[in-house]
Amino acid sequence: MASQALQKVDHSVLKSHQIIIILLNIVAFILNQPLLAVFVALVMGTGWLLKVPGFGFVYKYILKPRGWMKPDVLNDHPEPHRFAQFLGFIFMTAGSVALFAGASVLGWSLVWLVAALAALNAFGGFCVGCAVYYWLGQFHLPGFNKQPPAGTFPGMKPKVGASR
Amino acid sequence: MSPDPMSIVVLRFGLAIVIIGLGAFAYWLVNQRLLLRARNNISTLFKAFPNKPVLVYFTTPDCAPCKTIQRPAINRVSHLLAGELEVVEIDATERPDLAKAWGVMSVPTTFVLDTRGEARYVNNGVARAEKLLEQIQTL
Repeated sequence: MASQALQKVDHSVLKSHQIIIILLNIVAFILNQPLLAVFVALVMGTGWLLKVPGFGFVYKYILKPRGWMKPDVLNDHPEPHRFAQFLGFIFMTAGSVALFAGASVLGWSLVWLVAALAALNAFGGFCVGCAVYYWLGQFHLPGFNKQPPAGTFPGMKPKVGASR
Repeated sequence: MSPDPMSIVVLRFGLAIVIIGLGAFAYWLVNQRLLLRARNNISTLFKAFPNKPVLVYFTTPDCAPCKTIQRPAINRVSHLLAGELEVVEIDATERPDLAKAWGVMSVPTTFVLDTRGEARYVNNGVARAEKLLEQIQTL
């Protein structure tokens, strides 16, 4: 059985990552720049491969050292967040392909969907990709073996001191 | 004649503002719905509403932040308001029906009700004593 031990996860990194995705996606839409959507997709894909939030470097090298954002370290599982980033990467890639294929409405809708889900996570504390991860875990699929931290609704941000 | 590129950018900017506004409105609606659910379920907790502010506190036995942060914060607020606040603690594992009826998705969750029994504030997650006091004082 997989270990359910929680790890220290800095939710400020995740939040800054999500806010940058939101901003870049909105700018891409306003300026009608599909290449910017491709850039976001690439960064998210790279982040997923490296097992870090794609835009986490902005927090690490700019936001945190200057004190613009403070760490928000919680006991949590990093795997669902990685899966959420992977889902975002898939949606952004699909959106980018649609934009270059001339399906503007579909392409921008997917880009907005990613921005909306990132906003729900950053400002509402609910990670849809994580909820999907925990839901898939109910079917005992390989790689989806973590359970939500105790007292936490699947996908919701864990509370201070959550344990399992 | 093709449209001016600047006007297209302005148009798309306006569209982005509308979409963001709709999203913010949807989020506000969700919170209002939660408060409405609480208002509609006051009778599940009280036969006769005590004519003073009420703090409804949802918790579970294995909720660590409930024990270490939320409970002490509520104790402090109760002590400061000395008899002017009614605290109702609900164990969501014993009363899942109440947790479901009130729309509680995680613990701790606290609702602040005014003297007429209207749910005025909901805190999803830990609410510090200062925040609870501020909410109660604005009732």
